[in-house]
Amino acid sequence: MVKSSLVRQALILAALALVPGFGEAIYFRDKISWQSPIPASEIVTAAQARAWGGSAIWVDARPDAEFASDHVPGAVSLNEDRWNELLPQLLAVWSPEKKVVVYCSSLSCNASREVARRLRKEAQLPNVFVLKGGWEEWLKSKK
Amino acid sequence: MKFVWRIVDLVVGGIFIYAGAIKALDPAQFANDIDNYKILPWTIGVGLAFYLPWLEMLCGLALIFRLFYRGAFAILTALISIFLVATIAAKLRGLDITCGCFGHASQHWNFSAHLAVDFAILAALLALWLSTRAVPARGSDR
Amino acid sequence: MKTNIFAFILSIVVCVSAHAELKWDQTMVELHPATADKQAIGHFKYQNTGSKPVRFKSVRTSCGCTAAQSQKEEVPPGEKGEITATFNIGERTGTQVKTVTVETDDPEHVTTVLTLKAVIPQQLEITPTFVFWGQGEAPKPKTIVVRAAKEFPVKHLKVTSSSPDFQTKVEENGNGQFKIDVEPKDTSRQIASTLTIQPEDSQKIFYATARITNAPAIQ
Repeated sequence: MVKSSLVRQALILAALALVPGFGEAIYFRDKISWQSPIPASEIVTAAQARAWGGSAIWVDARPDAEFASDHVPGAVSLNEDRWNELLPQLLAVWSPEKKVVVYCSSLSCNASREVARRLRKEAQLPNVFVLKGGWEEWLKSKK
Repeated sequence: MKFVWRIVDLVVGGIFIYAGAIKALDPAQFANDIDNYKILPWTIGVGLAFYLPWLEMLCGLALIFRLFYRGAFAILTALISIFLVATIAAKLRGLDITCGCFGHASQHWNFSAHLAVDFAILAALLALWLSTRAVPARGSDR
Repeated sequence: MKTNIFAFILSIVVCVSAHAELKWDQTMVELHPATADKQAIGHFKYQNTGSKPVRFKSVRTSCGCTAAQSQKEEVPPGEKGEITATFNIGERTGTQVKTVTVETDDPEHVTTVLTLKAVIPQQLEITPTFVFWGQGEAPKPKTIVVRAAKEFPVKHLKVTSSSPDFQTKVEENGNGQFKIDVEPKDTSRQIASTLTIQPEDSQKIFYATARITNAPAIQ
């Protein structure tokens, strides 16, 4: 008898908690993506980014050697090895209506997310995006 | 003696309300923390990130106000036990888990401190259970 | 529910006791480099506790900023060794987690992930590191807030502007909190300045940028 009232109470509590939980899911729907760990509003595909044309500034988050060997035409290099030295170069070409697209080598590397995070948090730039699939995806989209 | 258990009710309930509130304030961070355990798929983690904090707070309130006491107690005990097992499993797998029950606020604690706090909460819950079993069902325990 | 938890715990215990031939002292190392350090080095020691030699097939790092070296390619039974992971801090901040993935020919543990966690001390938190005005915008001062970390008490800040077109004024709020007011002389040209922020008695220099951008700033 004790068991059934315990289960009943637990079920009622579990059900009641669904209400605010659901409410919060709706409230935060833009801040979190149900598909992947990076908010959808912060990722962009190569196709979308290309469509932005001149209003996009491409930022290469890879190490200097990789940038030197090849990069998106017109991209600015900004990596964490030489952050302080490279950041002003990006800021020199930036203006508020631009969209910043950060990429690193592929889907699995972390550098673009880190650079994007620092641009949003430290420089407080709006409209900073991470390129889905990175440099690999860019090369594929050229074909 | 009853008075002492009442205090334990309030403290444990309060802890869960606090823990739930911290996590409810930043569900994105909590979802990431759940994902760090690498036990559940991301999507389920997001669902839990939105749901669990409210469940914790509701059960914490239930402990304090002695409503649905047994149900709340069972849920909280289950939550903290699962949590303890997941944390130990993560540690054994070599995963880097720096935050737990208390969300990102506890990220500076080390593993042993975390484990100790969680075990203490579990012990308090079990002690509360034993105390209510010893005494016949109380008036407002619906 | 009780039996499920018991089974879960049992499975973890069983997993751990069936131990690998190549045994690692730790697979996660946490480092706390000092402010002036350029690198953080983690040592992952191992020993071949099995009866057959173990060979390293590959040692890969998660990013270009970390280099990992193993002392030997083949480890005879009973031998010890270590994998040294060198993480170049560069201008990174905060807690950095880098991994080294080791592949061996040990059939029980083909892949092992070694984790290097470096907690990089952040002496100052500068928010934002970039202030700007649109061309033609009123040249009103904008504020940069500087907070010193608790472990690094800072009494005074020295702020200099690389260009005389931007003036700076430092306000000390106590408790390691400072406000830097930046004011441009005029906003008609696209000028810029690098602000050098240096805590008194410290070698480390921090930076912020002030500039006039080429479009009206969003209000």
